[in-house]
Amino acid sequence: MIQDNPESKFIFIFHPKIMLGKKYTIRNGQEMTNGEVLQFWGKWIVLGKKLWLDELSIKLDPFVESKEIPVIKYDRVPSVNLGIEECVMMVYCDRRDRDNIWQILSRFGVKLKAWVTEKETMEMWLPGGQLLERWIESKNFDAATQNAVREDSQARLGYIFDHPDEVFVPWEQ
Amino acid sequence: MPVKILIPGSLKCWFDGETEYSCQGERILDCIDRLEKRFPGVKEHLIDPKGNISNVLIFLNGDNLRSLDGLSTKVKDGDEISIIPLAAGG
Repeated sequence: MIQDNPESKFIFIFHPKIMLGKKYTIRNGQEMTNGEVLQFWGKWIVLGKKLWLDELSIKLDPFVESKEIPVIKYDRVPSVNLGIEECVMMVYCDRRDRDNIWQILSRFGVKLKAWVTEKETMEMWLPGGQLLERWIESKNFDAATQNAVREDSQARLGYIFDHPDEVFVPWEQ
Repeated sequence: MPVKILIPGSLKCWFDGETEYSCQGERILDCIDRLEKRFPGVKEHLIDPKGNISNVLIFLNGDNLRSLDGLSTKVKDGDEISIIPLAAGG
C-alpha cells in the first residue's frame, strides 16, 4: 500500500501488515538484529522527477504487497538544501535479495545502478559524517543546537553500532 | 566496448546536460580524467584536493567504490559507472 501523508517528508510503500506492527526487517521469519542490519540491509537509490517516481511507485506497489520488496520510501519534494534537484526513492532490501529487486527496477526503466548499505548511510549521519555536518551547516543552527543534534545522532545511531545483538528497531519518519 | 557513465538529472549541469557518457579507461580515475577532458571542471566536483571522492557517491555496476578499491578500482569493457549526489545516499 502507498501511504501518502502530506505532513510527512516521505511517501512510503509498505505491506499493510506494517500497520499492524509487523517489521519489514525480517529474514526467513526472524527479525533482524542491529548487527545483521549493518551487515546486510541497504537500498537501491532511484533519482527522478516526482511525477515519474509517483508512476513508478504504482508499478512497484504489487511487489511490496507480495513481499518481494520489503519497503520503499521517496521524497515528496527534492532536498534542495542538500544540493539535490530530483526526488530520491529508496528501495530497501537485504543485500542477499538485491539482484532480484534490481531486475524488477530495471524492468521499469531504472538505469542508474546505486546500492547504498544502511551502514554507509548511518556513518554519514553520525557526528563528523558528511551528511550530518552538511545538514547542520545548511540549517544555520547556533552552537548549542549543533551540539544537541550531534548528541542525538550519536545516541540513536551509535546505539545500533554498540548493540549488534539486539533486535533492530526502525525509527519513526 | 567502452565503459558507460550514468549521470542523474541533478548532476547533469556538470556534464553539459548529458546523462550518459562512454569512455575507455583502466581504472575509475582514468575514466574521471577522460570526463575532465570532455567536461572541463567536473573533476573538482567529484574529487577533493586530497584526492578523495567528495560531493558524490560513485558506483561500479551498482557497488559503491567505498566498498571496492576507491578510485583505483579497475574497470573493464561493458562496466557501468553511476554517479549520484552524496546526499541522495542518505
